[in-house]
Amino acid sequence: MSARDNILARIRQNRPQASALPDIHAVPFIRYDDQFEAFATLIRNLGGDAVQLQDGQSVADIVAARWPDAGRTVDLTVAEHEEVDDPHAWHDVDVAIVPGQLAVAENATVWVSHPDNRFRSIYFLTLKLVLVVPREAMVDTMRDAYARIDMEEHGFGAFISGSSRTADIEQSLVMGAHGAMAALVIFV
Amino acid sequence: MKDDSVKHPQAAAEFLKDRAQAKWHDSAIWWVRQKRDAQAKQLPEWEELRRLAREIKAHTLSQLDDYLAQFEANAQNNGVTVHWAADADEHNRIVHSILAARQVKKLVKSKSMLTEECGLNPYLEQRGIEVVDTDLGERIVQLRHEAPSHIVMPAIHLKKEQISELFHKELGTEAGNNDPTYLTHAARANLREHFLTADAGLTGVNFAIAETGGVVVCTNEGNADLGTSLPPIHIASMGLEKIIPKLEHLGVFTRLLARSAIGSPVTTYTSHFHQARPGGEMHIVIVDNGRSDILGNEDFYQSLRCIRCGACMNTCPVYRRSSGFSYSYIIPGPIGSTLGPSRDMKKHGSMAFACSTCGSCSNVCPVKINLHEQLVLHRKKAFDQNLLPTGKKMGLLAMRFLTQHPALFDLGGKVMRKVVPIIPESLTRHSAWSRAGRDLPPMPAQSFKEQYQQRSQNKQDKEEQQ
Ligand code: SF4
Repeated sequence: MSARDNILARIRQNRPQASALPDIHAVPFIRYDDQFEAFATLIRNLGGDAVQLQDGQSVADIVAARWPDAGRTVDLTVAEHEEVDDPHAWHDVDVAIVPGQLAVAENATVWVSHPDNRFRSIYFLTLKLVLVVPREAMVDTMRDAYARIDMEEHGFGAFISGSSRTADIEQSLVMGAHGAMAALVIFV
Repeated sequence: MKDDSVKHPQAAAEFLKDRAQAKWHDSAIWWVRQKRDAQAKQLPEWEELRRLAREIKAHTLSQLDDYLAQFEANAQNNGVTVHWAADADEHNRIVHSILAARQVKKLVKSKSMLTEECGLNPYLEQRGIEVVDTDLGERIVQLRHEAPSHIVMPAIHLKKEQISELFHKELGTEAGNNDPTYLTHAARANLREHFLTADAGLTGVNFAIAETGGVVVCTNEGNADLGTSLPPIHIASMGLEKIIPKLEHLGVFTRLLARSAIGSPVTTYTSHFHQARPGGEMHIVIVDNGRSDILGNEDFYQSLRCIRCGACMNTCPVYRRSSGFSYSYIIPGPIGSTLGPSRDMKKHGSMAFACSTCGSCSNVCPVKINLHEQLVLHRKKAFDQNLLPTGKKMGLLAMRFLTQHPALFDLGGKVMRKVVPIIPESLTRHSAWSRAGRDLPPMPAQSFKEQYQQRSQNKQDKEEQQ
């Protein structure tokens, strides 16, 4: 027998007592009166920031005001965006503006899985990550989020909350471990 | 690699010699426990979440063969190659053959306790492949040629001065610059180079979804994502207990994991991998290595529900005061102390005794594993298999005899209360329990039983008077 068949046979033989799968929707989960407020308060502790686009303002205005001296900027939210043939080619991106499909109030994450993006490396190589999310695409908890997401980008999708961070040296929180050093969520 | 011959009591005594360091270790980890509590309190449904998580895992384990087969079929449909490994050796051979067939010279790895368990790094290094651990804590212990001392915070046993010294030597950072931000960013620059030049990436797996055939990896640093989005090969190694039935169940587990592990509402990245990046290939290695045996053990199979959050070690009064290196098994703390003896009682039996049976671990565990009960059951097994040091065994036998003979127990207590106060200190100084600053407690005049009887009597008298 192959390793696979052996393992599965042993598991079948060793099955513990039967146990029913619970209905995870039967339990009430927390609700937020002001989802944006909850999201924005939280993300400031996670190395990020969140703003709402005002009338007459564009995403580019907000980005330019925040980082006037930005280096290489790539904007995946426009239809005719820059493309590369190799995931390493994004290595010197300073600001990446990417579409986020959904935001979650309880933990300030944004779901990213963009059908029009080729190499996911851009989300992690960029120094500053700007996530552009429709303001109605906000849910309370991860349970609601999982009911609404799809893997639209080459079988990949990620929830991202704030900046890359670590506390591996004496529990001191440091922003900018391997991924983005700063994160900005713009609700449009 | 970890020294698996250590015995907990001796190693813990050694650790405690540096009082300042031991105190820091205790309080740093307790702080994480407190952050966990703060997060839990913010969710009115916290206890319900734990119940759901427990039930989902219990159900999955009861049909694990079916779910694994479903997972495999769906992963293959996505174009992923699935491998099965009966033991550590087979896992290492599979990983090496994938890498060797593609002439891989450098592998970047994100955190995986499974590859520690399998001893993958030395296996690959002996065969000429450079392995770079990329989680900052894991990189630190790799450069020190140590094992992680905690499953979530691998370098929690080290002070920043030690890390500064290490980085000065290995990465050329300024001597004496102990600033965590400076040190972290130096490691970032160094590891960025490795990410950009690696030929393959290996990750662990937090959750494997049967329904979709995908795996989920949670990190704060983004190292799993860089390690899989740049090189053309992604290998994900997973223990076979990582399965959950459906995508929607992540709506329970992602709410519990980071809150329990680090007291944060979520990890920075919760990444779902169902295919390789364009032009790449993805492999999943499903590893048994003793897990299917534990599944068949009525007393211990619940330990397979574990999601490796580390909350049980953060709360454990013994772990905090003895550090991960006092435990012989690669996973320390309460969960390691049941998994280790399940795997090899002879080697890891002493771990089951590194426990005060306070039960705090079982109370914080997000999947409600009966950890402290399992440790007591392991002690019984160790005793039955005659694996206890003679002194401990004799003590236990004497205690058993006494508890079975109450009259003798009472008499013993009486004699002790009379005799102990007059024993000269020079006689007790050499006992196993004696330490500088640790005196024998003053003996009470009466036993607990006598006090209790007296109080009941007094109460009765009072009532009669009224
Ligand atoms: S046993 Fe429970 S508390 Fe301990 S690491 Fe596993 S899931 Fe976390």
